[in-house]
Amino acid sequence: MNDIARMLEKQAKWQRQRAYLSWPEKIRMAEIMRDLLRHLRSGMPHRHCPRIVEEHAQPPKK
Amino acid sequence: MKAVADLLNAMIDAGVIDTYALFGAIAQMRYTEAVATLDADALVVLRSEQGRDLLAPIYEFCRIRGYVPQDEAVLVGAWPVQLVPVFSTLTKEAVELAETVDYEGSALRVVRATHLAVIALSVGRAKDYARILALLESKSVAPEEIETLAARHQLSEAWQRFKRRFLDE
Repeated sequence: MNDIARMLEKQAKWQRQRAYLSWPEKIRMAEIMRDLLRHLRSGMPHRHCPRIVEEHAQPPKK
Repeated sequence: MKAVADLLNAMIDAGVIDTYALFGAIAQMRYTEAVATLDADALVVLRSEQGRDLLAPIYEFCRIRGYVPQDEAVLVGAWPVQLVPVFSTLTKEAVELAETVDYEGSALRVVRATHLAVIALSVGRAKDYARILALLESKSVAPEEIETLAARHQLSEAWQRFKRRFLDE
């Protein structure tokens, strides 16, 4: 198995484990994701990902 | 989500609705990893189905309690909640057979995994197919259970198409 396949398998395993969190915990995660989505769509900075939003908000470089 | 549970339970107590159950992404997350969603969806069984605007009594109930409409939803705490009257025998059955779970001290009714999967099958968008696959992967529902329920609601053809496309190859 090469490194990439190993890394992807590890990532998939980690993601599957997230299914065993409590429902309220997953809903709290969904709230954060939803807020991020809204802010990314509006182009406004967000407390959880200010750098990402700033990068997206930059006009394209010439 | 606790505020959503309290509001929906208060609607039953006040006789505005007969019952309700959460469905869609929020319900899916009981069985799978967290997924991105913009709102919470609730199926509602209305007390009265008369009048042109079926949801008017619900919106009035919410307004009196300070919950305001936001687009197609009502904003309850952190969540816009879409209230969808049951629209088929499948959705009616899904609400009747929903589970009541404890959500941080409040009772909250939630559609079971098999009904979630078959409702998704009946809607048939890409994200609905992704929901079915996620539920299958989490082993919260077996293909045979979906097949049986789909057959009872005249969705066998849709299930066979889904199976050919996503499971048989």
